[in-house]
Amino acid sequence: MKRMFEVRGGDFDKAGETSTEVKTLLKDLGIDPGIVRRAGVVTFEAEMNVVMYAEKAQVTLILTDKDIAVEVKDQGPGIPDIELAMQEGYSTATDEMREMGFGFGMGLPNIKKNSDHFTLESELGKGTRLYSVIRLDSDDSPNTRV
Amino acid sequence: MIPLTHGFKIEADRCQGCLSCMRICPTHAIRVKNGKARFEPDQCIDCGSCLTACRNGAITATTLSSEDLFKFQFKVAVPSPVLFGQFPAGITPDHIHEGLHSLGFDAVWDYGVDLILSGRAITRYLADWKGTFPLISTSCPVIVRLVQVSYPRMVDQLVQVQIPREIAGREAKRRYSEELSLSPDQVGVIYITPCQAKTISILQPAEGAESYLDGALGINAVYNGILAYANLHREDGKKPSRGNLIRNSTMLQWSVSEGMGRVLSDHQYLHVTGLPNIIQVFDDIEKGKLRNVEFLEAFCCWSGCTGGNLTVANIYVTLSKFHTLISQLPETDPQTEAEVERRFPLENFSLDRPVRPRPVKGMTGDLRERVKIMQKAEEILNSLPGLDCGLCGAPTCKVLARDASMGDATRTDCVFYSKERLRDLQKRHIHKGRPGPKA
Repeated sequence: MKRMFEVRGGDFDKAGETSTEVKTLLKDLGIDPGIVRRAGVVTFEAEMNVVMYAEKAQVTLILTDKDIAVEVKDQGPGIPDIELAMQEGYSTATDEMREMGFGFGMGLPNIKKNSDHFTLESELGKGTRLYSVIRLDSDDSPNTRV
Repeated sequence: MIPLTHGFKIEADRCQGCLSCMRICPTHAIRVKNGKARFEPDQCIDCGSCLTACRNGAITATTLSSEDLFKFQFKVAVPSPVLFGQFPAGITPDHIHEGLHSLGFDAVWDYGVDLILSGRAITRYLADWKGTFPLISTSCPVIVRLVQVSYPRMVDQLVQVQIPREIAGREAKRRYSEELSLSPDQVGVIYITPCQAKTISILQPAEGAESYLDGALGINAVYNGILAYANLHREDGKKPSRGNLIRNSTMLQWSVSEGMGRVLSDHQYLHVTGLPNIIQVFDDIEKGKLRNVEFLEAFCCWSGCTGGNLTVANIYVTLSKFHTLISQLPETDPQTEAEVERRFPLENFSLDRPVRPRPVKGMTGDLRERVKIMQKAEEILNSLPGLDCGLCGAPTCKVLARDASMGDATRTDCVFYSKERLRDLQKRHIHKGRPGPKA
């Protein structure tokens, strides 16, 4: 199954709607709640990046028997140094964004942490393509006490 | 899978097809077809909302009637603590005790002991638990079914400990059949219940085992008899001659505020009542948002079992009555403690088998099938008006679309697509003394 969503840059009012839709869809299909949660995190963080930095993006969700793939292709400034951007705590967010509770430099690392496969490609001045795959059989039990 | 048994029935003759039950049902289990309500057994969790919503008395609880008692040679009542908060001031637990005897019961069970036993068993279970938290209480049968039907992945979190009324049923049967040399079948152990949902855990326990109880009588079914008896006898000032049934406040305390909360004071405990609140909390658990709670006790009815749909008194009056009773009683007493100490090592408190999920129709196939159903339902939904008027006989357009995607309904059930359907509704509902719309 394939679904496409549009996300507009700067639209903080609607930020988070795509990830909510994705989560509802997966939940209605009876996908494991742990997997739904991870797909939700990936979509939400990617969506927030688009809202904060890019002009617009197309989010594509592809569900197969084996996995969930999320592709986020944006038109935006691009990322100059991907390795740096992937570091926890590194952020180029403005004070305004931080005041809203975003931009703590955890978005991309969080996406990676919740993906079984993750790629990030970017071209300066053009845009960024993020691709994340979550396997449906990957084990996840967030509530277990250790 | 064996279809679910339920604690109520819909009488077609009385049903006027008014849609009230369908609109209120939290799991969308009810449809109104050909002017009559019916429910999908596998989707219904027995919350009882429809019983309260029905204006025509067509939905009734399938509890026992007093006559059913007489097939047993020896009849034991296990009264829910809620019963003791139902009567006007001046009517004591001892009057109620006597009143139950006057209705034909041969014994009234000392339920306080079983509650404490179950509390101990749960404390032990919680201490040994290595799996996912929070653990969920199985005291309210609606919650057990809600988890089985809507949160199938959480079934392992249901506490696999016998509920107090089953512990009571087992011991009452054992003791009286032994003392009186009767077979266990000749001893009838009847739960006096505040709601119809408790009967489902007797008719069909969630784990698929057999209940130790023989049935349930609603509080409303015994209320008048007890009240009449007590009114006669409280005037004569004679102290009831039978032993004290309620010797301490523990049992009553469990029924009012925090249930197991006092027993589990060393643990992170969460108490939720009211189905919408519970669903919200369960959603949070599924999302992994509720991490620090170890034990969750949820009751379908607002304010817990005191709000059950077979109770008579107003919830708040009941709570006030409990408050008075609790303040007059010690927290514990030697007789109860001795009985708990004696029984705890002798009895097995684990469930005979684990509780299994009960996924609803359309969720049982593989992912490919589920996607197909969803896509078809979305396609149909796009062509529906989205007004959720319910005139098609399904509570929302989304539900109709889903039914249609599985072949259980058609798009032409929608009044926007079928003039016949509209005419049929006009025929059924306009000529009943109510004025129709002016042309």
